[in-house]
Amino acid sequence: MLEVRDLMVFYENALAVNDLSLEVRQGEVVGVFGSNSAGKTTLLNTVAGLTLHLQQRERRKGGMRITLGGAIRLDGEEIGGLSPRARVERGVVLCRERHPVFRDNTVEENLTLGAYLRPSGELKRGLESVYELFPPLVALRKRKAGMLSGGEKEMVAIGTALMARPRLLLMDEPLLGLSPLMQAEVVRGARAIARRGVTILISEQYARPILPIIDRGYVIENGALVVSGTGAELLDNPEVKSAYFGV
Amino acid sequence: MGGLLASTLVYGLVNSVVLLLTSLGFSLTFGLSGVANFAHGGLYLLSGFLCWLLMHRVGLPFPLAAAATVLLVGLLGAAIYRTVLMSVRGIVLSEVISTFAVGVAIVEFFRWKGFTTYDFTLPALVDGSVDILGVTVDWQRLLIVALGLALTGLLWLFTHRTMVGLALRGMSQDEYTALSVGIESDWAATLSLGLGSALAAVAGIALLPLGIISINIGYDVLLIALAVTVLGGLESTTGLILGSLIVGFAMVITGNYVGPRWSEVVYLAAIVIVLAVKPSGLLGKSKELEDRV
Repeated sequence: MLEVRDLMVFYENALAVNDLSLEVRQGEVVGVFGSNSAGKTTLLNTVAGLTLHLQQRERRKGGMRITLGGAIRLDGEEIGGLSPRARVERGVVLCRERHPVFRDNTVEENLTLGAYLRPSGELKRGLESVYELFPPLVALRKRKAGMLSGGEKEMVAIGTALMARPRLLLMDEPLLGLSPLMQAEVVRGARAIARRGVTILISEQYARPILPIIDRGYVIENGALVVSGTGAELLDNPEVKSAYFGV
Repeated sequence: MGGLLASTLVYGLVNSVVLLLTSLGFSLTFGLSGVANFAHGGLYLLSGFLCWLLMHRVGLPFPLAAAATVLLVGLLGAAIYRTVLMSVRGIVLSEVISTFAVGVAIVEFFRWKGFTTYDFTLPALVDGSVDILGVTVDWQRLLIVALGLALTGLLWLFTHRTMVGLALRGMSQDEYTALSVGIESDWAATLSLGLGSALAAVAGIALLPLGIISINIGYDVLLIALAVTVLGGLESTTGLILGSLIVGFAMVITGNYVGPRWSEVVYLAAIVIVLAVKPSGLLGKSKELEDRV
């Protein structure tokens, strides 16, 4: 479904993603693991088109020089030159890191915005589907999203992304800063999303909480691929095991 | 009720809504795109002269000239974003300088072309007057009050109850999350500049019939819009209304009890005091604090 080949991302002279290749097949849940500044967020932002948007913005105003290289293909189609909107239209939807919500909007307004590109007739069914997945959001639907806890915000953020009807959901560190209880809730949600047939590429610093739901994983350091394999294979690697699996 | 007190109450309210209407476009554009459109006063002035030209040089009837003016000024606002602002988007100082330059260019163009006589007036939408609490108020001013309140309500509905409005608000809060669900940032900013400019034109066409179209009103309107939005708190509709009421009544009270020439000092003083005491305005949001919660 998604094929990333020889991806390079430079911010000025800093190499954020270094000759990275990975593949996500239809229906899989694939993890990307790495420490802070390993390049996980840049990778997901680049697949979603945000890095290209930033590059164009900076070029226009003569600011930071961003260089992109390599190929990003979705179902065989090169999407590396497409706008974020065109990628969302093709089913590639990013749920950004740090539980992003539109803080002045209510929970329901946030979810509604997720369906921005969808036909209006789908809205009601989409909302019901998100509330089924995350029942605590029903009671919070009229609450300003900026006033929610981190875990609640993450549910809203994932729900908003789901409203866009993704075929490939990119989840950037959804567990960051959450309590173990909330982490379990988000992992349960991710598993349920995958069961609905959505392909998922998920990044995390520590792999252990999401190990039960991934089919395969990639470990990256300094923007480059270190090792890849199934969860069991990654666990067999002693260095990877201690650095990213916390065991 | 005493004549002066009644006059202060009635004209305080009318003046407040006049300020609200004057500032609505500036506040909307800032709230939805983060761009402080310092061409607002110039666009307001342009709407007056453009409407006058369409009536007296092209021969259009007033309603048609007014509608065409709102449309053309709105399109000009959108064009200002695409040609002037797009390349400096996100650099606040450059946004302010470039929009201010556009505003000055508009105002000074009309001065250069000799639009400085007392010949330029727009017709009132309604004639006649009515007594309220013993104070005579003309229907045009009451129409302005109704228009100001109706537009404020409609804009609230637009930004809170329509998908496009929600998208514009979303973009103003978190550009990259909005991009992630397919909202385009340049489209959103173009639309908000266009809408804000069209509102400047609506304000101009409604308010300019109260007097002659004078060149310097382009600068005065910008200062009024700044005073009201800075006082109430940028990005806050309730703050805009509150700011309009405070400045509106303060101007009338000062004019009635101190002297007419002091009333214009009020909005300038409001800017200075608010920036010194509470820069985020009365109802402005402290994002830093909110992000920490």
